[in-house]
Amino acid sequence: MGKISLRKAGKQYGTVEIIRDLDLEIADGEFVVIVGPSGCGKSTLLRMIAGLEATTSGQIVIDGHDVTAALPVERKLAMVFQSYALYPHMTVRQNMGFGLKLAKLSVGAIRAKVDAAADTLKLTPLLDRYPKELSGGQRQRVAIGRAIVREPVGFLFDEPLSNLDAALRVDMRLEIAKLHRSLGATMIYVTHDQVEAMTLADRIVVLKDGRVMQQGTPHELYENPANLFVAQFIGSPKMNILPCKRNGDGQLDLSGQGLLEMPLRSDAAPVQLGARPEHLSLVAPENGHCRGTVEAREYLGGTTSVFVRNPELGLINVSAPADIGFGIGETVGIHIDNVRLSLFDAAGAAVIASP
Amino acid sequence: MINALRWLVFAIAALAMNFPILVTLVTSFKSARELSTNPGLWVQAPTLDNYLAVFQVSDRLNIFLYLLNSITVALIGTTLAVALALPAAYAIARGRLGERTLLPFIVNLRAVPLIIFAIPLYMMFQWLALLDTRLGLGLILSIVNLPLALVILVNAIRDLPGELDEAALMDGANRRQILLRVIAPVCRPAIVTSLIFGFITAWNEFLFGLMLTTSKAVPITVGASFFFAASGGGVQWGVASAVMVVGALPPVLLGLIMYRQISGSMTAGAVKG
Amino acid sequence: MNTQGAHSSEFRLLAMPLVLFLLVFLGFPAIVNLIYSVSDVSFETLRQPRITGLSNFAAVWNDRAFWQASWFSFRFGALTALLECALGLVLAIFLSPLIERRSWLMAILMLPLMVAPALVGLMYRLVLHEFAGPVPYYLWAWFGTSVSFLGPTSAFWTLIVVETLQWTPFALLLFYMAYRAIPTEIVEASAMDGARRWHLLWYVELPLMAPTIVVALLIRFIDGFRVFDNVYVLTGSGPGGSTASLSIYIYEAFFKQGAIGKAVAASVILFAVSFAVLYGLNFIASRRKGALR
Ligand SMILES: Nc1ncnc2c1ncn2[C@@H]1O[C@H](COP(=O)(O)OP(=O)(O)OP(=O)(O)O)[C@@H](O)[C@H]1O
Ligand SMILES: [Mg+2]
Repeated sequence: MGKISLRKAGKQYGTVEIIRDLDLEIADGEFVVIVGPSGCGKSTLLRMIAGLEATTSGQIVIDGHDVTAALPVERKLAMVFQSYALYPHMTVRQNMGFGLKLAKLSVGAIRAKVDAAADTLKLTPLLDRYPKELSGGQRQRVAIGRAIVREPVGFLFDEPLSNLDAALRVDMRLEIAKLHRSLGATMIYVTHDQVEAMTLADRIVVLKDGRVMQQGTPHELYENPANLFVAQFIGSPKMNILPCKRNGDGQLDLSGQGLLEMPLRSDAAPVQLGARPEHLSLVAPENGHCRGTVEAREYLGGTTSVFVRNPELGLINVSAPADIGFGIGETVGIHIDNVRLSLFDAAGAAVIASP
Repeated sequence: MINALRWLVFAIAALAMNFPILVTLVTSFKSARELSTNPGLWVQAPTLDNYLAVFQVSDRLNIFLYLLNSITVALIGTTLAVALALPAAYAIARGRLGERTLLPFIVNLRAVPLIIFAIPLYMMFQWLALLDTRLGLGLILSIVNLPLALVILVNAIRDLPGELDEAALMDGANRRQILLRVIAPVCRPAIVTSLIFGFITAWNEFLFGLMLTTSKAVPITVGASFFFAASGGGVQWGVASAVMVVGALPPVLLGLIMYRQISGSMTAGAVKG
Repeated sequence: MNTQGAHSSEFRLLAMPLVLFLLVFLGFPAIVNLIYSVSDVSFETLRQPRITGLSNFAAVWNDRAFWQASWFSFRFGALTALLECALGLVLAIFLSPLIERRSWLMAILMLPLMVAPALVGLMYRLVLHEFAGPVPYYLWAWFGTSVSFLGPTSAFWTLIVVETLQWTPFALLLFYMAYRAIPTEIVEASAMDGARRWHLLWYVELPLMAPTIVVALLIRFIDGFRVFDNVYVLTGSGPGGSTASLSIYIYEAFFKQGAIGKAVAASVILFAVSFAVLYGLNFIASRRKGALR
């Protein structure tokens, strides 16, 4: 059981609205990742769900119970903090058992649960150590272990991996995914990291200024961003945004730099075109939809990012094969895959491409 | 060259500032006869007679009582101050309670001439039969210790990450449990520091000891002055010196222990800043 | 039940013991102070004070000794604060290369801070004693003359020196820590800019230490202003009340003269002035902090 609903939930600090009228339904066992730019209210939202931050308007409902005013512990959720927040004066065993001890479980029961969780997380040999005697990854595991032992209906993670180095982050990511499969509990996960979001999420919620910009599976968000913001936020490297206009023949006019065939609904009026670098390719100057000069190249191993400058369209990032032959200063043509691109109207909302 | 000058300056400064302590220490080992001929900084025939005299209990002078009183009142004044300040510091640092009222008021207490409370306290203690009791003096010394203890503890708690409290909240602890089981153990160095500071301050306090005690609860700072009002024939300087050495020793020793902590926090500050 | 509300009531409960304690041991005496200050009261009539209005305040106001004591306290506080901070600053900067490497040197310098001011005062009775004291002894031996240190002409300056020598270590310690806390990058950067040692001190290091200097001056002034212990044991109120600080004035009015009303009225005045000044300073400090943000 771990169905979490936010109904018009809001948070104000004084007169500043951090979260406004936010509606969110999270199903039992779902893995929801919340992303958004720094300061958009991700942590605040998570802490409202946890009960660490008072919700100033609306409701939070867990499994049918209104918990808007309930204490954190009454919500049966567990939280993993970015800084881990382990109790420095307690051993790993005491850290993990603290909540159970407060809940007045018997010593034997506490021991059994801690041992079981330690076993899952491969912490058994570390149980008698203090946090300062652990590596970053081990601390992270203890923090997760502390969350597991209380058998919460849902887990809340606030950028849990951001203090780890890249390699460890991959390991822990896989481990969290595994944990989600084995526990089947609801998880809400806040992150800055694109890859974490794409790989872990059943559903991604994109937040901006305390509002949901779009929610959906990683695939939906990547392929069909609902607006310019999501289009640019999801995906790495970033989507190219090119100014465009519809001409009388139903074609897209790239600011006079080229024309693109595009079947569109008659009332659609796109003004911007979004194309991901991997949906562009470099061709001979005369074959492309538009052209420009190569300004910079970044060799990434598997691919090379080529930055092409067009006087009207700006700098365009094209993901090319690693050994692409074009050099800096050369004029190249850019081919645009018109099936995979996105179009946006003046308000930044996505324009449905095909009728 | 410049370093030699530095050593010279250090030697002069150290000598000047510690001069009364040095003189007292030296004098405490001089016999009465030697004192009358040699007031200088050198002892010709060191003797422990003065210390033996100090520890001689008479019906007028009882150094054991004074020391016991000082220890008791300092312990009361220190532990009570920390016991009151710790939960309040937690409420101020985390609950942001009284940040603009209670905290500045108590900090200002550190700067107020204590005499202004002494007279009504004297009267109040008369009514409560707390005059000339260790409990009474200890209670007042805790007020003297409160400002520093509160500031040290508030700063220590503010330095802890708030996520520590929140993790405990998620674990189902209430504020009292968080304070006792998480904050207090983690803040132990700050608590020890405020206890030591408090003990030294309380031990060295004089004004309230002078006003609120007369015989049974006299602390050593006041008791030491009794040895100066000697019984005829002027002050016995050797004995008086020995008393002062005994009276100054506990805080000085504690201070030397605490000094390690201060230099520790000094280097910590240097690394951070 | 709102979570926020629940938290603040828990916090209130935690702060309660301290608040109650203060109410009993400071609030109640403050009220007693106020009542007695407008009453005719003696040790015999402690329980039945007779309200007489502001006559006690008038008595204090017209008492030359009160003004003399105020002037003494002020001068004593200001002079000792200046001397201690000047000496402390010079020593902290000049000795810092030594202390950096051998921290026990600081322990030696800090020793006077650990000794009760009352005991230090008593120690100086010995140090300055005309027969038993080493200072007059050496003065006679070397210069063939000595000074009556606690006599009417020099008592004030003797007290200033006594206080300064005991508390300079406090300023020294504060300044040393502030000096060490100056980031080395700043010093190195200005050295790269070609600053001379003297310029570095004047334009970089001292300005960075300025807040500490202000705080030290303030603390030392306050402690000098309310001085009691060492002055009381050394000279008492001195010849003609010449070395009576305000604390000593109030103490003697109460214990020696039994003038409860006068002593209490003086306390109330001191109380009001102290808190007014302190809160004024807090206000200025918080405003400046706001300006910096
Ligand atoms: N106590 C507070 N008082 C006022 N404003 C606050 C407070 N705490 C947070 N905020 C504001 O709320 C907004 C959201 O903060 P929050 O920490 O939720 O952002 P975030 O999305 O988690 O950012 P990040 O990715 O940097 O962690 C920020 O603009 C922040 O300035
Ligand atoms: Mg955050």
